[in-house]
Formats: sequence, structure tokens, C-alpha cells
Amino acid sequence: MTLAITIGVLIAGAVYLVLQRGMVRIVLGFVLLSHGVNLLLMSAGGVSRREAPLLAGGGGEALADPLPQAFVLTAIVIAFSITIYMLTLAATGKGDDTEDAS
Amino acid sequence: MPLLLLLAVLTVTVLSVPVLDRLLGRATGWPLAAVLALLTAAVLARGPDLWDGGPALEASLPWMPALGIGMSLRMDGLAWLFCVLVLGVGALVTAYSARYFPPGRRTGFYVLMSAFALAMTGLVLADDIVLLFVFWELTTICSFYLIGLSGPSASRPAVRTFLLTALGGLALLAAVVLLWVRTGTTRLSTILGDLSWTQDTGFTTAVAVLVIVAVFTKSAQFPFHYWLPDAMAASTPVSAYLHAAAMVKAGVYLAMRFSPAFADTAVWGTTLIVTGLATALLGAALALRSHDLKKLTAYSTVSQLGFLIAVIGVGTTQALIAAAVHTLAHALFKATLFMAVGVVDHQTGTRDLRELGGLRRAMPVTATVSALAALSMAGVPPLLGFVSKENLFEALLHTPGPAWLGPLAAVAAVLAAALTVAYAFRFVYGTFGGARVRHPGPDRPREAGALFLAAPAVAALAGLALGPAAPLLNPMAERAAADATGEQAQAHLALWHGVNPALAMSAAALLLGALVAWGATVRDPASSRLRLPVTGTGVFERVHAGLIALGARTGDPTRSDAPARHLAVPFVLIIVFAAAVAVLGPDYGTPADGTSRPLDWMMVALVAVSVLTAVVTRSRLAALALTGVAGFAVALWFLFLGAVDVALTQLLVEILTVVVAVLVLRRLPARFHRARPSRTAATALIAVAAGTAAGLGAYLLTGRREPSAVSTHLLENAPADTGGTNVVNTILVDYRALDTLGELTVLGVAGLIIIAVLHSSGLTANGGPQPEVARTNPVRDADANTVIMRTVARVLIPLLLIWSAYLLLRGHNAPGGGFIGGLVGGSAFALAYLVAPSASVARIRLAYPAFIAAGVVTAVASGLLGLADGSFLRPLHADIPLPWGGHYHFTSALVFDVGVYLAVVGVILTALNQLGLPRTGAAPERTAVPERHDTATGGTR
Repeated sequence: MTLAITIGVLIAGAVYLVLQRGMVRIVLGFVLLSHGVNLLLMSAGGVSRREAPLLAGGGGEALADPLPQAFVLTAIVIAFSITIYMLTLAATGKGDDTEDAS
Repeated sequence: MPLLLLLAVLTVTVLSVPVLDRLLGRATGWPLAAVLALLTAAVLARGPDLWDGGPALEASLPWMPALGIGMSLRMDGLAWLFCVLVLGVGALVTAYSARYFPPGRRTGFYVLMSAFALAMTGLVLADDIVLLFVFWELTTICSFYLIGLSGPSASRPAVRTFLLTALGGLALLAAVVLLWVRTGTTRLSTILGDLSWTQDTGFTTAVAVLVIVAVFTKSAQFPFHYWLPDAMAASTPVSAYLHAAAMVKAGVYLAMRFSPAFADTAVWGTTLIVTGLATALLGAALALRSHDLKKLTAYSTVSQLGFLIAVIGVGTTQALIAAAVHTLAHALFKATLFMAVGVVDHQTGTRDLRELGGLRRAMPVTATVSALAALSMAGVPPLLGFVSKENLFEALLHTPGPAWLGPLAAVAAVLAAALTVAYAFRFVYGTFGGARVRHPGPDRPREAGALFLAAPAVAALAGLALGPAAPLLNPMAERAAADATGEQAQAHLALWHGVNPALAMSAAALLLGALVAWGATVRDPASSRLRLPVTGTGVFERVHAGLIALGARTGDPTRSDAPARHLAVPFVLIIVFAAAVAVLGPDYGTPADGTSRPLDWMMVALVAVSVLTAVVTRSRLAALALTGVAGFAVALWFLFLGAVDVALTQLLVEILTVVVAVLVLRRLPARFHRARPSRTAATALIAVAAGTAAGLGAYLLTGRREPSAVSTHLLENAPADTGGTNVVNTILVDYRALDTLGELTVLGVAGLIIIAVLHSSGLTANGGPQPEVARTNPVRDADANTVIMRTVARVLIPLLLIWSAYLLLRGHNAPGGGFIGGLVGGSAFALAYLVAPSASVARIRLAYPAFIAAGVVTAVASGLLGLADGSFLRPLHADIPLPWGGHYHFTSALVFDVGVYLAVVGVILTALNQLGLPRTGAAPERTAVPERHDTATGGTR
């Protein structure tokens, strides 16, 4: 439930920021959105088993699902590249206003 | 087989035209005419066999066997007639073109004309409705290009013609699909052979209406009649072919072909008769008031097509005999008239009746030829036109249905015929009769050469000869009508049938026509000064513009640059879906135990506080920092969930994001834009709803099952499969390496896009917060105030690089790997950038796009290595013995990870250089930037 609450809070903040006017706020919204979605992916793997899936120290019953972790790891890097691309867009042209007038 | 040969010869002809044209120029018309004439002769030779009741020729090639669609061809009596017309008139027109055009190459024209002949031949021979549709559309396309060839002024007429006939094509397509679905076959002869599907009145009516739309648009019936005169923007040979044998005759053919199917459908007969006769009258009236000879002839075609459509609507075998004969007669006289117009235009330089007159002495042959065709058109004995028109009257008079219908139709036909007589007279008298009128062309126009006149003369003489010889046409007309209706027919074509109603009607038409001609020609017709309030092209253009405007208005809501408008839609939709799921209330399963731990609440609180403040603040820097805090909290979350690699990645990405974001923020105002309270409230509402949906969804829909089979499999087999014990890393570089390859490519592309965007748009000039620092403050001197950091960095940067290499190498067995190593390496460069006292020192002299490229290339190369073991990206393993004993387990997955490392470092370098440093060779107005820029980063040197 704690993870679900975190996801809810992140998504709410993300949606609010993404619907704002300045590009920087939209970028920050997307950052939060990717946090929320990444945690959702983790949540899909189950939250009760929380041991790191490192087998050097032998296996165990409580090992976390490694598949969502791999997905999330690449997702973070992709989101990073998208974030810096969007930040670049914010820094081009006259400013980061995405709308013409109020 | 001969039918396939026929189409093959035509196809080869089309393909050989460019070569011929290169050699012969406009004279390409001769060999083309020869080929078409030969084919005409070959088809004609088949005639007697058909008339003796021989079977229809058939041929078939598989085309789309899975769908049951074949290149099925069939030549029965009806197809034979149209085939002869298409090929014969084609031969005449191409021969005529060889003299009509000025010397020079005419590749486009001849290719399109021969393709047109091919398309029309295919259309009338097609025994598969899909094939029929394809050829139907081909004729539309050919006519579009042929009209458009005439230059810029023809482009709108070409477009109008195309759109209108394409509309009909769509109707035909719908009819084809309906018939196919209902009958289960695409064979035309099968569909028309078993008419049981016509029992369903509603269905038949729908198909009939669709076919009517196709026929009316193609054959220029009211209210689509205007495209035909509009299309006269095309060169005269094109018009001659279009009007006499191709294009418009496709509609006539289709109507005749389908007439048995719709014989009992009320809408078919009524619509065809009423519209046909109305079009006949309208076309004739418009022809009478036209001054342009070509326009007059074009409206005349509209009128004659009206007769044909009306008589097909009557639907009796006698009516279809009349339609067949009149189609032939019309092809002959209309081809002649158009070619004669071309001759007059060519010799005198005008085709305006007001500038023409008295040419009978200068151009006696043209005058004779035109007169013969015009007399045939007017229905004067002994020409073929007289025979066919008598048959038309006869058939219309005996229209089945209420007793008053036949006579009414007959009266309308007589009126239209009378107008025909009048405009035929006007054509000939206005051009060749009366006194000489000054015209803009040569002072003394001369008769055209024999070769130029040959084609129209042949057509005109055929019309003259076939009149008295009309009985010879009986078997042809009988077979055509029989194949069209499916009933045996008896034709009685002759010049003289004794005194009967049809003869009286002919006489009445001629007499009335003579009177109208007297009024309209000798005295200036009042009608020609009338301006019509509505023109077809005007209506078309208004409808066209209206449709485009409607489309624009439909798209307007999405035509906004504001992202919020687009982004709100998916969010609201997701909320709606979530609400729908909540209402349906499916079985969510039982929640697993131990999903929440006391320490989790710390992260919940951290995330909640940081997100809430990040949302509320209007300071950009604060929002960035608070978002960063949320990111760190999420990294902690990952750590708590046992995702060590993920947590490390998140942490590093968070740091680098803040570094890059700061580079951007300093160019922007310190505070965010103000928003209207109403907007803030609406956004907050959506946000809270979306957050609630996401939270509930995460709680109710995830984590309620046992470990997945994949997860179990990976955990059990990873070390044996890959030699690595860090399962997450083995997934990245072994199990799902192709995904990772795709992802690192995306990463690389993002880096290249940043370069491209900044190359094209340039960075925003520094408008951001400028620190106000007192002159005496040591912070003002960048060199001095970075000294501590520089000292630390001098040691830290090499350490970071070494550490990143170590992380990369150990990734397979412990937290680390290409992504994490690359991020740590990138952080080293970020540090180097941050501690530099000025931008010129900070420049990282590395070819960062090369890093990205090297990363992708390395990853792909390691993948290709895998091909040695049979599959792209399959890791190779080798145990390398170490000098101090033991061995090192080498896997090519490590090479792959090196590729990931390089790409990640490349992208970070790109962002730092592109966003952080003044661009070399920047535009002049931005040359002032570096100084202020240095101030902003802390000082000047």
C-alpha cells in the first residue's frame, strides 16, 4: 500500500506539472511521471519479496523479481535521454513558454 | 488466350511508346494507329462467330487466388462492340494526332493515350468485378493526366474531372464489395448469370443506386454533366477519344452490363429515363448557346449520352438494341466532329463561331466531312444516326410502365432531338456557311492535308455507309442486346420501316429543329446572352471549398501548439477508464502479505512533501531541486525493493539531470509563468483524479500473485546460462540484449537530436537570473572560488573514471554494468565541467558524437560476434587462464556492455557541451553572449 500511495502522489504531481504552461514545468512533470511509472513496474513484480536478485550469496525465497528491475533500469536511462532532449527544447527559441497568450 | 494476347499487345505498346517517340516524335501516332487498327481487325474477325451464336471468348489468369480474384476476361457480343469502338476510334484518333500536333516529341500524350486504350479494353473485357473496378479507375487516372497535359489552365478542370469521376469510382467500389459479399464471387458473368440476389429489394436498390452514381459521374449525366465540357481543356485528340469511345462510354457500358440485374428495380429505370432525358434536353440547350465549337460538341456529347442512358433505363431488348446501335453511331459522328473542330482550329487559329464562317470554299473536304457527321447526329436519312435515332424513339415510345410514360418520354426525346438538329445545323452553317468572317488566324485559311483529314473522313464515311447498310448490323445488335439482357432479341434495323410513329417523330424533330435553327442561327439567339445563375463548375468549387473548410474546422481543436491541450486528453481518458473499471468492480484477488513495512512510510512522506512543494513553488530552481529530492526518494525506494542496480542508476541519473537542467535554467526567467486560478483548479482536479486512479490501480491490480514463471526461470538459470550472478545485468546484456540495443540506440539518437536542434534553432540568449555580487566579494572571482573544488576534482575525476571502468567490468556479477558505469563516467565529466572557472576551460575536447557512434557500433559488433554461435547478440564465452592461477570468465556480453557505456558517456558529453558551452561560430547577435555567460557561471578570466 505504501508503494501505491507513492505512485499516486507522483502521478498526481506529474499530471499537474505536465498540464502547465512552461516547458521546464512540463519536463519536471515528465520526470515525476517516469518515477511513478517505474515504481508501478516494480509494483507489478511484487512488493513483498525484497531481497536483491544477486545470486553470488546463494538464492533465497525472498528474492525480488529481476525482470521489472531490468525494464526499469533501461527505462530510467531512456527517460533521462528524453529529459535532456526536452530540456534542450526549453532552452531554444525565445523562452520556454509553450502558449502564445495567457 | 487471344484476349490475354490482346491486353499483352496493348501493354507492350504502352511500354514501347517512349522509345518510338524518341525516334519518331509526333509521328508515333502512325505505328500506334497501325497496332490499334490491327487489333481492331482481329476483334472484328471474331464478330461473325459471335453473331452465329458462338460462345463468348474467355481467358483467365490467377491474380489473387487466395481471394478468388482472377484476371478473368470475357468477350461476348456487348464487350465485342465496345472493344471495336475503343480500338477502332483509338486507331483513328492516334493517326489524327500524328498530324494534329506540331512536330516534336509527345511522349506523355502517346503513353497516356495507349494506356487509356488499354484501360478501356480491359474495362469492357473484364469478367471480374474487382478487375473491372481497377480498369475503371485506370481510365479515371489516364483522363486526369491527359487533361492536365494541356498546361496550367487545364489543371483545375483536370482536378475537377478526377475528383468527380473518382467519386463515381468509390460508388462502384462499394457496389463491387456489396456484390462480392452477397454472392461470394467476383466473377461478373456468374453474378449476372444467377440473379437470385436481386430478390432482396433493399440490397438491390442500394447496389443500383451505387451503380447509378458510378454511371452518371462517368457518363456526365445531370447533375454531374459539367465535367465533360470542363474537360475540353484537353487537347482535341484527347477530347475526341474521351467523348467518342473512351471514358464516357465506360458508363454506358456499365449501365448496359447491369441492366438485367436492375430490370425490376424501380429506382433504376425511373432514374435513368428521367435523368437521361433531362440531360439530353439540357445538354442540347447548352450546346445551342455555345459559341466555342468544342464546347458545343462537348455539350452535344452530354445530350447524346442522355439519350443513351434514358434508353438503357427502358431496359427492353429493343431498347438495348437501340442503345448499342446509337453507341456505334455516336462514336462515329462524335469522333468526326471533334477531329473536324481540331482541323478548323488548326487551319484558322480559332474555334469561336463568332469568328468563323464561309469556310466551305477554302476547306471543302472538312466541310463535307463535318456535314456528314452533323447530319448523322441530327438523324437525317440515310445516315446511321437516322437509323439509331428512330430506334431510340421507338424504344422510348414503348417504355414499359404506365401508359402515359412512353408518350411523355417520346415527346421529351423529340424535343431534345429537335435541339440536336438545331445545334448540328449551327455547327456546320456557322463554320462553313454564310459569308466569310474576319478571324484572327491566317488571312486565307487552306484545306488541311490528306493525312490530317484521313481519320475524320473514315469515321464520317463509315457513318454514311452504315446507314443504308443498317440491316448488316442486325446480328451484331442482336447479340449485344442478348448478352446484355440475357434474352433473345430480334433487331430490325433498316432505313425504311414504312410509315410508323418513329418516322413521324423523326420528321417532327427535323421540322422543329429547322425552325429552332432558323431562330437560333440566322438571327442572333437571345439565349446565348443569358447568363446562367448556376454553373456546374461553380457549384463544384463551392462544395469543394466547403468540404476543405469543414475538414479544417474539424481539425481545429487539435491544431494547437500548446502541449497542455493535447496532454490533457489521454489523462482524462485514463481517468474515465479507471472510473469504468471501478464501477464494474472485477475480482482483484487478495492482497499479498508484507507489502508495507514501517520504513516505507518515510519514503512516502519524503515523496509527498517534495512533490507537493515542487508543484506549488513558482521558483524554477526550487522546483528543480524539489523534483531532485523526489528522485532521490524514489532511488531509495528502489533500494528498499531490492533493486540495487536500479537504485544506483536512478541516483546517478538524478544527479546528471540536475546538472543539465541547471545549464538550461540559467537561460530562463527565475519564476514560472502565472496561471489563471480557474486553470489551476481544473488542472489540480485532473491531477488528483489521475493520481487517485494510479494509486488505486497500483494497489488493486499489481503484486497480488506468486512470482511469475519468467522470474523463477531467470533466478534459477541465470548463472548457468550466462555465467553471471547479477540477474538484472544478465537480463540486460544476455537475455534481452536486443531490447537493450534498441534502447541504447534511442539514447544515442536523443544525443544526436540535441545537436541537431541546437544547430537549427540555437540556444536561448541568457535571460535568466544574473547573480548580483559585490565587486569586493571573493565569489566574484571564478578562479578563486572554485579552487577547492578544483583541487578535489583533480583527484576525484581519475578515481571516478577508474571506478566507472570497475563497475562496468564487474556488472555481470555484482551491481554495476554498462549503464551504471557510463553514468559514473559521465558524472566525472560533469564534475570536470562544473569546476572549470570559465567556459573556455570547461570545453571537453572529445568528439562526443563519435562516442555515441562507437557505442552503438560496438554493441552491434558484439551482436554480430554472436552470429558465430548461430544468433545475433548471443554472447560467446571463453575461460581465459590467468598467470597466477585460476581463470577469468570472459563473455562477449561484456563487449556489448562496453558499447552501452560508450553511448551513455557520449550522450552526457553531448548535453554538457551543447547546453553548457557557447557555440563556436554562433550567429553574430549571439557573439555578445560569452561574456555575460562567463559572468553567469561565476566570473571572468
